[in-house]
Amino acid sequence: MDEIAIKLENVTKSFTFKSENLESRLFNIFSQSQKTKIMALDNITLDIKKGEVIAIIGRNGSGKTTLLRTIAGIYTPDSGNIVIDGTIAPLLHIGTGFHEELNSKENILMSGLLMGIKKDKILQKTDDIIEYAELEKFTGMKLKHYSTGMRARLAFSLALQMNPDIFLVDEILAVGDRKFQEKSFNSFVSFKEKNKTILLVTHNLGPQLEIADRVVLMDKGKIILVGDIDQVLKKYYEEYQD
Amino acid sequence: MSFLPLVNLWKVRSILVFFAIINIKLRFKGMKLGIVWTALEPTLTFVFLYIVFTSITKGPQENYGIYLLTGIILYNIFARGTSGGLSSIRSNVNIIESININKEFFPVTAVLATSILMVVQIGVFFGLMPFFQFIPVWTIIFLPVVLLLLIILILGISYILCILHVYFRDIQVIWSILIQALFFITPIIWYIDDIKDTGLGNILLAIHSINPIGQLTELTHNIVVFNTIPTLVEWTYVSIFCIGIFLFGFLIFNKYQSKIMEEL
Repeated sequence: MDEIAIKLENVTKSFTFKSENLESRLFNIFSQSQKTKIMALDNITLDIKKGEVIAIIGRNGSGKTTLLRTIAGIYTPDSGNIVIDGTIAPLLHIGTGFHEELNSKENILMSGLLMGIKKDKILQKTDDIIEYAELEKFTGMKLKHYSTGMRARLAFSLALQMNPDIFLVDEILAVGDRKFQEKSFNSFVSFKEKNKTILLVTHNLGPQLEIADRVVLMDKGKIILVGDIDQVLKKYYEEYQD
Repeated sequence: MSFLPLVNLWKVRSILVFFAIINIKLRFKGMKLGIVWTALEPTLTFVFLYIVFTSITKGPQENYGIYLLTGIILYNIFARGTSGGLSSIRSNVNIIESININKEFFPVTAVLATSILMVVQIGVFFGLMPFFQFIPVWTIIFLPVVLLLLIILILGISYILCILHVYFRDIQVIWSILIQALFFITPIIWYIDDIKDTGLGNILLAIHSINPIGQLTELTHNIVVFNTIPTLVEWTYVSIFCIGIFLFGFLIFNKYQSKIMEEL
């Protein structure tokens, strides 16, 4: 029987926003502003097996990122259960906790330490990380001078070298150039071969999606359909494409 | 997860130090004088106030310079420390958004950075003593105890402020005003004996009795300037105050820390 890496049971997460405009703030400083409740995750149940690659697709605001953040433990769900077996590397953000004023080596150390990796291990791998990210020429440069693509490469390379069991990737690869995208795609393939679990949020519905074993279609915080690529894409193009 | 402050961070103590140093680097980023400001800021404040107050009061008391300097140094550590603690969560939003991390890490790192900078300021304190031909007596060995209580107090207040800052950004402005008021209700430029038995002075004394930073300043004046050892009752009173605020601060922090993510 296949082992489960991530188990989600009836996970619900809502956000409450205050609707604010200047006029109402000026005249009602102490009264409660109007609140809008949004169901970002509405009763999500999903089992993800070890070694499985899952792609999550859906329109903007459908809850994809919230789902990854909840799995990563950044958000606490309102209700429901999440069981995770293995270490997680979240790549949810371009420059996962990177700092603008530090250079790439300092950022690797800082980010790695925050992810809970031992200092020696990070130092040992720093050169590999920089090499994979193709940033050898820019190691002394502060991160604020890096382009978006360079940051994304650094973040991806760092997460890759940390060798986690579960990879949560939020659209981050879309910013790298084509060559790097191909390279990272190949890394995903080799990850998959090592029985690692990958959860991928993507808007790229091209050939890259073929790495996925299953595709999850989300809308308004709900899972609409889980299935193979053709099946889910068909549904998506028919009903959910803008 | 422990319900006691700092316990959860013990495992990551080496990372804390690393981040405190980064925190200091970032505080002074892009400045020409950098960390030198830590020494220069209280020194210049002191010089300015010393000139003003020695020229408006006739025949200032003995050791007024050291008295004033003691208060300014403590006040400066407190003011800088708490405002660093206040913004500690918000200034690390991008880390909190991308990694599941114990959020206590941030105020503690900020206060650790304050403690490291405190060493510089205490250096200034001793460095300026020869200018007043002042030689401290043995009672100064109690100074580390006061400084420890000061750091505990700063951390306790930082726990509360950084949470408040998430929900209520205005606290940044409010706190800077309160800090200014604090300068005047704390015995920094005035002596406690001077205000006794005057109408407004009694109000000020009442405030002073519940002002933890005022109490700490009074203790420090006793051990540094007046060469007296505070009584056990005085020590206990101040300690309960500081540790009480510290524990209360953590209680508040712990209650809200899992909810702040959605507000950021």
